Parts: sequence; C-alpha cells; structure tokens
Amino acid sequence: MIQLNNIEKYYANKGVKNYVLRLVTTTINQGEFVSIMGPSGAGKSTLLNIIGMLEEPTYGSYEFLGEDVTALNERKRIELYRNHIGFVFQAYHLIDEMTVYENIEAPLLYKKVGGAERASRIADLLDRFNMVAKKDLFPNQLSGGQQQLVGIARALAAQPSIILADEPTGNLQSAQAEEIMELFKKLNQEDGITIIQVTHSEKNAQYGNRILHIADGVVKEDVLVG
Amino acid sequence: MFSLNLKIALRNLWRNKVITAINIGGLAIALAAFIIVTMYFTFETGFDRANPNYNEIYIIGRNLPDFKTNYTSPPLGKTIKAEVPEVVSVGTMKVSFFEIPVTSKNAVVFLSKCLYLDYEAAKMFNIKPSNGLVKPESTTQNLFYLSNENYKTLFPNNKNGVPELVGLGSRSSGMTAKLSGSVYADPHSNIAFDAISVVKEVGLGEGYGYNNYNTYIQVKPGTDIEALEAKVNAIYKREMIKADEDPNHETFKATSAFLDPLKNQHLKPKAGTGIGYKILMALSVLGILILVIACINFTNLSIAQAAKRAKEVGVKKVMGAYRFQLSLQFLTEILIQCLVSTVLGLIIAEIILPRFNNLFGVNLSIWTANSALLWQLPLILIFITLIAGVYPAMVLSGFKPALVLKGNFQKSKQSFWLQNGLLVFQFSIAVIFITGLLIINSQLTYMRTQDVGFKPAQVVYIKNLAYFASPGKFDPIRDRISKIPGVKSVTVANTIPDGSDGGKNSYTVDGKEQSLTFTGVDFDYFETLDIKIKEGRTFSREFKTDTVNSAILNEAAVAKYGLTHPIGKSIKGCQNKTYKIVGIIKDFKTLGFEKPVEPTIYSINDPCGNPKTEIMLKIEGSRMSEVLNTLKSQWPEINRLDGDNFRYQFLDEMYGRLFKKQEQLQSVFFAAAMLTVFIAMLGLFAFAKYITNSKIKEIAVRKILGASNLQIFKLINRTFLVMVVMANIISFPLAYILTKKWLETFAYRIDLPLLPFAMSAGLTILLTIITVSLQANSAVKANPVGALKYE
Repeated sequence: MIQLNNIEKYYANKGVKNYVLRLVTTTINQGEFVSIMGPSGAGKSTLLNIIGMLEEPTYGSYEFLGEDVTALNERKRIELYRNHIGFVFQAYHLIDEMTVYENIEAPLLYKKVGGAERASRIADLLDRFNMVAKKDLFPNQLSGGQQQLVGIARALAAQPSIILADEPTGNLQSAQAEEIMELFKKLNQEDGITIIQVTHSEKNAQYGNRILHIADGVVKEDVLVG
Repeated sequence: MFSLNLKIALRNLWRNKVITAINIGGLAIALAAFIIVTMYFTFETGFDRANPNYNEIYIIGRNLPDFKTNYTSPPLGKTIKAEVPEVVSVGTMKVSFFEIPVTSKNAVVFLSKCLYLDYEAAKMFNIKPSNGLVKPESTTQNLFYLSNENYKTLFPNNKNGVPELVGLGSRSSGMTAKLSGSVYADPHSNIAFDAISVVKEVGLGEGYGYNNYNTYIQVKPGTDIEALEAKVNAIYKREMIKADEDPNHETFKATSAFLDPLKNQHLKPKAGTGIGYKILMALSVLGILILVIACINFTNLSIAQAAKRAKEVGVKKVMGAYRFQLSLQFLTEILIQCLVSTVLGLIIAEIILPRFNNLFGVNLSIWTANSALLWQLPLILIFITLIAGVYPAMVLSGFKPALVLKGNFQKSKQSFWLQNGLLVFQFSIAVIFITGLLIINSQLTYMRTQDVGFKPAQVVYIKNLAYFASPGKFDPIRDRISKIPGVKSVTVANTIPDGSDGGKNSYTVDGKEQSLTFTGVDFDYFETLDIKIKEGRTFSREFKTDTVNSAILNEAAVAKYGLTHPIGKSIKGCQNKTYKIVGIIKDFKTLGFEKPVEPTIYSINDPCGNPKTEIMLKIEGSRMSEVLNTLKSQWPEINRLDGDNFRYQFLDEMYGRLFKKQEQLQSVFFAAAMLTVFIAMLGLFAFAKYITNSKIKEIAVRKILGASNLQIFKLINRTFLVMVVMANIISFPLAYILTKKWLETFAYRIDLPLLPFAMSAGLTILLTIITVSLQANSAVKANPVGALKYE
C-alpha cells in the first residue's frame, strides 16, 4: 500500500544540510498496524507527515496505492484525504466552535456524502463510541480521552483505508490511553484498517504488529511484534 | 456545508465579542460617513441629469482680460442659430434676483429667483407647466408661471391651474400680472427658479452691449465641440467688430467666447471658482479614506486572530477541504460582518443626515423610492467585503497543515510587518486630519477676531425695491427713520458689504487708466458701517458738491494708481464724468478673507451703477427690538414706494455667511479627525489586545525574572509608540503642504503655525499610551502562575 524509496528530508541552513530523514526505504502493506518509535527529534513525525503528504520529501520516491505521490497536485492530494486517509493528532485538534456531532460530520460534508447517509454514519459512530449523549457538547466540555475518541470517530467517518496517528495518547492518562489503543487494535483487526502511529511508549507499540525504530533520521530496526 | 460554516462563523464572532463589536462598530461608523458622502456625490453630480438633452447643452461664456463670465448678449445666440448648422436650438434667459412680492387675495409670496426666458430655452430645459408649455404667439405675450408651492400658497383652492391675476411689487405700484399657471420648479437644476416668464423672444432690441443674459445652445449629438467653439468665437469676434469694437484694442484681443457643458455648470463652471467641485472631491476622498481605514482594521484583526483559526484550517485541509472552500468560508464570515455593519451604518447615517443637510444646505434622504443607494449599497457591500476580506482569506486559507498542526505555530514575520504598516497608515491619516483641523481652527479664529475694517454689528439691512438713484430722493425717508429713538444713522447704497461684487468700470487719474469697482452710496454710509477715514473727509451735507461730483477712494485704489497726494485730484470715468477726490478710506474687507480688497471708488452721484436700493441702519444695541417694531409699524408710511412688507436682515449675519464654506470645511475636518482617530484607536485597541494576549507567557516569565509593572508597560508600549512616531513623521510634510495650499486660498491669512503639529503628535502619543496600557493592564496585573501553569 505504501512504498517509500530512499526518502530524504533535510533543511539547508547557511549551506549546511541538517538531515531529518536519511535514505528511508520501507513498505507498509494493507492491514498492517505499524508503530514508529524513537527518541525526540529522531524524525518520527516528519516521516508520518511525509506519509500523510503534509510534507514533501527533499529526495526519494513515495508510492501510495501504486501511485507516485511525491509531486501530487493539491486537488489529487485532497481526493486522497477525502477517500483514503484519516488523521488523529496528539492534541486532538477538534474544531472548538463545532459540537461533537459537527466535528464528526465535517469530513463527510467535504466528501459530499448525502444527508441521510451522513446521519446514519454519524449515528453509527456515536453509538459505537458511546458518545450519543455528548453529541451536542463542545470539545472543551469533554475530557481528553473523550476528545480523542471524537478525533478518531472523525477520522473514521470518511471510511478511510489508513489512519495516521501522531502520538494519539501522548496527552492522555494511562487508563484512557489503553482504551484508545484497544480501539486501534480492534479497528485494525476487525475492520482491516491500516494504522500507522508514532509513539514513545513501548507498551503502546505492542498493540501493533510491527515496529520501526528510528534514530537520527535512519531506520535502525524493523521488527515484527508478537 | 454552508449552514455549518455559518454556525462556526457566528460562534466565533460571539466568542470574540469585544473584537467583533469593535470591528462591526468601526466599520458601521465609517460606512455611515461613506453612505452620506455617496449620497451627496450623487446629488451634486446629478444636477439637470433628468434633462433628456443633458449631454448636448452648452452655455456660451466670455473670456475677458480679468475674468470669465457666463453673461452674454441676446443677439449673439440668434446669430449663432442662424449660421451654425450643428446648433439645434438656442435658448436665452435672464435671471432676476430681485426679491419681488407677488400678492393674491389670500397671501403674499416673495420671489427670490425669477427666470425670464424664451420658449426655446423652456423647451431645452424641459420645463413643463401644469397646463402644458405653449409657445407665446406674439412678442408682447408673456406667460408667467409660479412654482407649484408658491402657486398653492397664493391660490389654495385653485386646483386646475386656471389663469389668475396677481399683484406684483408693492400695492402702491398697482402693477398686476396675469398668471398663466403653475410649473414644477426642479430644485435639482442649474436654472432652479421660483417663477418663470416665458416669452417669444428675450432682449428685444438689445444689442451686443447688453451682456445680461445666459445663452444656452443645444448641439447635435456627436458634434466636435472644439471646432464648434472656434466657430462660435469667430462669430462673436466678427459681431463685436460690427458693433464698433476696436479690433486693435488690448481688451478686445484678450476677449473670446467659449462653450461650457451644462454638466459642468454646477460643480466646475469655467466662469466660476470650482470650489464646490473641490469640496466634493475632498469629501469623496475623505469618505473613501475613512472606509479604507475601517477595512484595514478588519484586515488587521482578521490576521491578528489568524493563530486562533490556524488549527481549524489545518484540520479542515487534512479532512479534505480545498483551499478555495476555506477562502470562501472566511469571505462569507467577513461578508456577514459587513452586512451587519451596512445595516448599522444606514441607521447611523439616518441619524446624522439632518445635521449634514443643515451644514451643506441640501435635502438628502435615504428612504426615497428611486434612490441611487438601491444599487450603490450592494456595490459598497461587495467592495468592502473584498477589501477587508480577500487578504485575510488568502492568508488564512494558505496555512500549511503540517506547520499549524504541530502546535507551535508562529506567524510569519511578513504579516507582522504588514500589520504594523497598516497601523502606521491609519495613524498618518489621523494625524493629517488633526493637524488640518487645528490649522483650520486657527485661521477661522483669526478671521473672526481680526478687524475687518468695518463694524457690521447692529447694522440692519432693510429689503427694498424702490429706487433711490438721484441724490436727495432718499432724504425724506432718512429724516423719518432718523426720528425714531435708537437709530444712530441711516444710509442707502447699491451694494452691501456682504461679499457681493460691485460693478467695474475704467477710471482715469493723471492719464492713468485703471479698472475700479464703483459703489453708489449716500450720506452717512461710512458712519453707518463705522469705516475709518485715512485722509480727507467723508461725504457731508455741508459740501453742496458732494451730491454732484465728489468721490472717495479706498487705499487699494490709491495704491493701484500709485498716488501719493490723492486728495483734490480729478478722477474721470463712468460716462466721462469727472469727480474730485475728497477722501481716502482705510480698506475694509467687503469680500471676506479669501479675496483681496477691491480698489473701489465711492460716490453719491453714480449714474452708471445699479440704482441705490439697499437701506442700512445703525441701531443702538439695547433698543434693537424696540426700533424694529416701530419700523415695522411705520414702514408703509416711511417708504411710500415699497412699504407693504417690512423685511430686514442683520448685516453681521449676512457677512458671516462668507465664512460658511470655511465653517463647512471646519465641520468636515472635525468629523473626519474624530472619525479617523476613533477608528485608528479601535484598530489599535484590538491590535494591542491581541499582542498582549499573545505575550501573556512572556510577561509572566519576565515578572518571575523580576520585571516591575512599569517596565512591562514600557515594553508593550514601545512598539506602538515607534509606530505612532513614525506615522507623525510621515504625515507632517503632507499635512504641511496641504494646509499651506489651503491657507494660500486666503488673501488674508495666518502664518502657518507649528503648534498644531506638536499638538497632534502629543495627542496621538497620549491616546496610544492610554489605549495600549488599558489593554496591557490585565495581563500585567495577573498572577504569572496562571499563565505559566498550562501549556
């Protein structure tokens, strides 16, 4: 599904190249649950951003679903966001002025999903995450764990084939973190959604089936779990 | 989608209530000003526009060596009509500004502008009497129409406009006229009138010397006006030579005829000052400036709040929103605010309008059915939405999700520069208006306090139609009035010193010919007006010759001739009459402060001037009302020729009207200064709020490191102060040039003072410190723990 070849990313500063990523080559298949691990500043988030097409690599090629996406125009990229990729963030990034319901609805509006279909999908998600009673609340009225649940529900609403999560439990207490990781595992195993997460926690990484260890922009280890 | 965006917009606006209120309120006030200016512009440029021949009508004027005039003689139009095929029709008219009373059994009305015009002119100007425009059959027939309002006053029961008989002038004159009906008198026309007399031909038997008429021509569409003007000028010159003008005389060589389109007549006629046009342009520029400033606030604030919205943009982009969808969303938000502002602006405009109407002597109204505002307002709305909205919409929708979603989003340096630049711009404009206002105030104070050379206070001007041309004719009236206790002196003249131009003529002293203004006066003229004598004496009954051939000159006239010992010299002019100079008076400013004092000759025997009709009395201030009451009751006996209606005005009020234009300007500048300062302060207030909010952490850290409150106030104020000082530096040269130019329009003016510059700098700096410190106060006083606890 994802094919990265010799991906490099550097920032040139006064003629000196500061490498963030060096010659990253890897393949991620449909249905995998990959955790990217490594110390701070190793380049984990940059790698995830490149996979999510939020940043462009300085060098190397990247194929998504068999298509070269290193130099994709905005329109094509947005099509991919609408249909294939869901993002989950450490800081949740819910839109503060929207209720829970509206936050989940937003991607469906951009995808131009019909009204009835939209209502049923949102109802479904709210039901599944036990948020029905909270649908008219605003993000600041929810706990962190609940906000992240809404964030995941929002990512799932468009029925993506892959979820990219940047430290999804980084701001959460351990009980809530476990809940979120269980949910990821379930989504991966039952719905077959590919998940790539960046994490610091060895424990969270164990929920997946593969770990990429990165240090100083280089993939040091690629191990299978379990 | 749209409804969701709308909801977000409203929730966002509600959450930032203060900033929203500042934004909408500031824009609404600016819009109110702009709406009024737009209405005024539409009105001022719309004179005669309803005329179907609007673009084809030209007035013929004459270039004379000293000035230009729209007055021409009646035969000129006829010759042009006969010889020039491009000219479709020629209309000639004469305006009478005499205040003539018209009486019926029921009431009396006073005509202040009566138009005497030929049938062709009436047709050209689309004049439609209620019973239809008819062509007078003979040259003696005279179709007299009153405006609908006047007609109604005189004949409230005559609905059909059936001809009626009215009395003209005083009853004693016994003059009557047949009224042919009523006519719609369009006040929005260059030839606005309150009565007309339509005849077959005007100025019958009058030759080329009778330049008392206005000649309008209507040309074929598409005529080459320059070529036509040359033709008209050639005809004019040829006819003048025929009429015995000397073709080699300097004056003749410098004289020519010109064409001036009707559409320019109201605002910038060739024969006129064009001050109306300048005021209109200044107002328009002002209106646009104020609106632009308010829009800048919008832009500034929208960008200042960008950080708050950045996350939304990033998230929406990764959810699959196109950039244009986001741009559209932000534009919609701004459109909503602009819409609210427009509605508020209309309400504010409605509230201000009566004052504006009063100041500019117009009668504008928002709620008329065919108001041009109907199409102008939507345009204004789109215009402001675009100016205020496009830039922030582009900036906001252009955020890169990877950057903003990382959480440590910083605005680029570039937009910071832009915001500072916009603030400096706002303050520069505010400073220009403050400085301008202060300088206008100084000049007006100077004008009000400066000695004008005569004392118009307690001088009453009595309106009168009877002629007192020949010396002595006025004596019985003077005697009667003088007997009333409280009257100090009485005189009559042919012009009053209220800014009206007198006639001009050539006079010769010692073989030197100069053009002088001549004023026909009577005994006690100089005493009534309290004009100082410089040399010699004023007119006196003790000298029998004074009613025959004595003349008094003013200093300007003496200077024009370069005379050193003028008393006793002979001055020749006005039908070759020779006068003896008996006195020199000090110059007095009959024309106000803009024009220099005209070199003038005063004489009692004045055969070439207009007849003396203007009666002036000097009355003791304490007995004013008593004297006026006595005069009112005795007037029919005192003035047997025109005593039906005692009407008077105070000379100081009439003279005060000369200041009106400048007072208008002062009011406009006052409003503009208040508005620009207010709006700039609003912008500053909101911007300071934003800056302070974004520096809360910095402030907390500094406090922990031991900074005092004062040091923090200084820190926050510093950037703003730099901007305000820069704004002052930028606008000083501009304000200097503009005010200098304005002052140069006065013949008598103050030296450009420097204090206003210092004052506006001080004022803006003070206001800035107050505004910013008010904003910074809460952040400075807050406990640093609160700001540092949460990340």
